[in-house]
Amino acid sequence: MSAAVSLAGIVKRHGSVTALAGIDLDVAPGEFFSLLGPSGSGKTTMLRILAGLERADAGTVRMNGRDITALDPGERDVAMVFQSYALYPHMTVRDNIAFPLKMTGETPAAIERGVNEAASRVRIEHLLDRKPGQLSGGQQQRCALARAIVRKPALFLLDEPLSNLDAKLRIETRVELKRLQRALNVTAVYVTHDQEEALSLSDRLAVFMDGRIVQVGTPEEVFSRPATVEVAGFLGNPPMNLLPARLDDGYAMIEGVSLHLPALAVFGKREVMLGVRPSAVRLGAHGLPGTVTMCEALGEDFFVDLSVGERLVRAKLNGGERPAERSQVQVALDGRALHVFDRQSGARL
Amino acid sequence: MRTAVLLAIAIVMLVVWIFPVAWGLLTSFKTERDVLAYPPEVIFEPTLVNYHDVFFGGASIVPNLISSLIISGLTTALTMLFAIPAAYALARLDLPWKRATGFWVLATQMLPPVGLVIPYFLLLRKVGWTDTYQGLVLVYLTFALPFAIWLLVSYFEEIPREMEEAALLDRAGRLRALWHVILPQAKGGIAVTVIFVFLNSWNEFLFAVVLGGNTVRPVTVAMFNFISLEQTQWGRLAAAAMVGMAPVIALGLLAQQHIVKGLTVGAVKGGGRR
Repeated sequence: MSAAVSLAGIVKRHGSVTALAGIDLDVAPGEFFSLLGPSGSGKTTMLRILAGLERADAGTVRMNGRDITALDPGERDVAMVFQSYALYPHMTVRDNIAFPLKMTGETPAAIERGVNEAASRVRIEHLLDRKPGQLSGGQQQRCALARAIVRKPALFLLDEPLSNLDAKLRIETRVELKRLQRALNVTAVYVTHDQEEALSLSDRLAVFMDGRIVQVGTPEEVFSRPATVEVAGFLGNPPMNLLPARLDDGYAMIEGVSLHLPALAVFGKREVMLGVRPSAVRLGAHGLPGTVTMCEALGEDFFVDLSVGERLVRAKLNGGERPAERSQVQVALDGRALHVFDRQSGARL
Repeated sequence: MRTAVLLAIAIVMLVVWIFPVAWGLLTSFKTERDVLAYPPEVIFEPTLVNYHDVFFGGASIVPNLISSLIISGLTTALTMLFAIPAAYALARLDLPWKRATGFWVLATQMLPPVGLVIPYFLLLRKVGWTDTYQGLVLVYLTFALPFAIWLLVSYFEEIPREMEEAALLDRAGRLRALWHVILPQAKGGIAVTVIFVFLNSWNEFLFAVVLGGNTVRPVTVAMFNFISLEQTQWGRLAAAAMVGMAPVIALGLLAQQHIVKGLTVGAVKGGGRR
């Protein structure tokens, strides 16, 4: 059975450093949920608290309504895939996968059956008699997955499981991981600093910053409506351009230039931070005067660095003519594609 | 040039180490007359009479070898029994006073043994344990245990924490995680520790000569008896030394690989933890 997970008021301090400053979170049964954030944001600590490997200083962890805050890792019905895989080097792949079943005292026949099933799910049946040291990185990773799924846990925890794979294998494994989670219908909590992974894999995700969750939502929600300036600046590749501006009833003063943007009239007069995705930047007849400092061609797209006043604006242009470097251009902003954040608090308006 | 210098140093060291052993080996095959010949003879007629005396003669050291084996075996077994869990706890658990404990464990190694002989003697006499196996083994434990703990901690620390975290999540519990996952990976370190502890107690002389006696007389003390006021029986002494050395050398060769690997522990730290 897949588990519903509920976290309330989780606080964790490492000495004087606050790793988690009050985390509230609900994960639905069968959901693929990602904890996304830069390194040091507390996401791995959160996962370890879920696993029972660390104790929270305050707050409760519930699984299917049951308070498991004080339970040991082995009593929680959770399985985890570590970033380093943590395969037992002295055991064969078969013994690695069998280990959780042996520990729960399954019969040899049941162990044999379980190992074969788990191994075939991740397609490593032919490697069962090898030692982890004789496997490639991708095979080790699948062995770790097999060990995690073999006893059919209610909750599946993954700590950056793809970060040690090369780029091509990472994308393949990503697809496989999602398929596996769906097939097993198990709740998965996935820690990553790679936004692409989080956006492509998750049903929902939580963005961690400085030990807090700054936004929870579907990948589409988080990407299209970032809740704060930090999230806006973290997500997207390249991330959103952020320009300080003064709004004045439909006019915006940006880098000393006043633009008429009727869509922003609703915000009245205030100091804001305007966010614009590189893909929403256009080079047009009217806008902010800028200079092309660099232009990279990537297949169909151009990534263009523009200097606007003292700011750097990155644009992703699809097709069209390649802008010449050092040429003077007008950077057009579409009022409806702008994200408006309060200058002081950084919150979305 | 550098290799030449290193080679020269190696040869000098080798000669310094090997000379007494080679001398002893030669002496063990000499008759008393040949031993005392001056200038010393390098070419002589070898005899096995010393070895025969040492094994089957009136001053046979066989009972002493058995004594040594009992003492070293017991010391090693008990040391490992206590040192493994202690070292594991020091390496892994978040215990209060962990640093302080670790330091005092090591500090016991800094005391000069000579300063302890008299207090130990008085203590053992009080409980009637002089010239007993339990007395000598108990005393040996006082220095074997801290040494073993100190050595093992570094081996346990080398093993990634994720290993037992994975085992804990796999429902092994602390003890089974230690047994099934940690110990097999610390095999090399445990082998090195066993050997060092065994050799230390095998070679020990000072405590054995003071705290032992007629019942408990390890081979090191027995050898000493070939030296008396009137005469030193060089041939027999050398033969006994060779026999006493044999297990040491055998163990060393057997575990050579582990020892070299074990001594370089921590030289290359791989994959530190967050």
